[in-house]
Amino acid sequence: MRSVLQTLSDWLAAGGHSIGQIHIAAQGAGFQLTHQDDRERTDLAARTGVEAARELAHYDDAGKFRPLKTAPNLRHGWRLSVADLPELRRALDYFYPAMLGVWLSQSRGELTPVPLRETLARQTGMYRVTQLITDEQAQEMIGTHCRLDGGCLKRILWPLAPDVPLSSLSAEKLDPTAPAGTLPLLCHEACNLLVAKAREVVKKAQQQQ
Amino acid sequence: MIAKPHSALILVGHGSTVNPDSSAPTFDHAAEIIRRGLFAEVHCAFWKEEPSLRQVLHMVDAEEIYIVPNFISEGYFTRTVIPRELELTGPVTERDGRVIKYCEPVGSHARMTELLVHRAAAVAPGVPPEKSTLFIVGHGTNLNDNSAIAAKREVELIAAQGRYAEVRNAYMEEEPLISKWDEYSTQPNVVVVPFFIADGLHSYEDIPVLLGIAEESPGAASANASGVFANNPYDRRGRTLFYASAIGTEPLFADLVLEQVAAFDAAHAVPA
Repeated sequence: MRSVLQTLSDWLAAGGHSIGQIHIAAQGAGFQLTHQDDRERTDLAARTGVEAARELAHYDDAGKFRPLKTAPNLRHGWRLSVADLPELRRALDYFYPAMLGVWLSQSRGELTPVPLRETLARQTGMYRVTQLITDEQAQEMIGTHCRLDGGCLKRILWPLAPDVPLSSLSAEKLDPTAPAGTLPLLCHEACNLLVAKAREVVKKAQQQQ
Repeated sequence: MIAKPHSALILVGHGSTVNPDSSAPTFDHAAEIIRRGLFAEVHCAFWKEEPSLRQVLHMVDAEEIYIVPNFISEGYFTRTVIPRELELTGPVTERDGRVIKYCEPVGSHARMTELLVHRAAAVAPGVPPEKSTLFIVGHGTNLNDNSAIAAKREVELIAAQGRYAEVRNAYMEEEPLISKWDEYSTQPNVVVVPFFIADGLHSYEDIPVLLGIAEESPGAASANASGVFANNPYDRRGRTLFYASAIGTEPLFADLVLEQVAAFDAAHAVPA
């Protein structure tokens, strides 16, 4: 029987403390979350409760909306207290949506990576045109938008096509294992942001022809 | 009140990669339903935000899952995008030991009419409806054009109540255009309720400009606590104009989500 909560509990008991840019520490019966960079700071704004996590995850340091929660731009300057394990789980689902569950599925052998070509072939409406992206354009786009430094912290599990691996990213980006104590952020299928980028690439190429 | 202590509920919203407020009502209604403790799990999923429709099922432990689209009407997203992305085969999908039950969108609920009237009265307290024109504003002309049909149906139902002197449809991009609201109304008071899920790009940034109550896009609603709604009413074009927040931000929407789950069960009940 699946249990995301039990998985989180077991991971913490085994010494788990990091997910993405978040550091987790036990605090009485509950937990305290901070930005990894802020662990030594003493001037952090104290926040409490799950719903504060939604707002903290939603904007970067400049107050700009973060549509991609695994972008490496988590805001600084706060510490968040949550009361118990279920609250921690919900807070982590705001900071890194679905990442606990996706990791659980992977560890149970229930995560099926979807090649980019399959994702694009499924699109309808305004995104149908993404099927016209060339392999070369797709590799360049992925190299630009998915890269670990400045793009997205998830590790990519999918190829471009079943027999076409990704060629424009670092080996680290394609490695699903994480250091001890760190919960991996896994990408089993291209996100809608990347599909939208693919549309931009195709449209731009069409205009230049 | 419906209680499903062994089931999961997933609210599906559109979301946005640009506007920070598009997902807010979906998260808010989910948080309210979690607070009531009626389901084993409650999650959100989005087309344009995270968790995505391709991720959300991995968040779920329960074997019975209800999906409720937090959309204003049936349309392209509820009929094509959501079933495709969640790999649904019909109202009931059985896969990998799970049963996924796909409910009607929140906006299709019969109580939408009641909510629209409630919102219109709340934004213009003490203003006599018999001296008011009520506009229900939809998007018009896009893939999801069923929302225009739904908005028209709501206008007919509210008009039939005979409470408002006039009840009118208007759209952003097709006639009757909301920008010509003064030409389509004769009453001294004008109440405008956006038939949208969120105070996102359209209802907060576009329609105020079309109404003439903002010179240019005021930016995201969450960044303007003292913005468009706080300045009601507006004296414009010889009338008193009241502009409401999008109908989907109404807290009673959480009740409609639960009622769509109950309606699904009633419609798919197995005879004893």
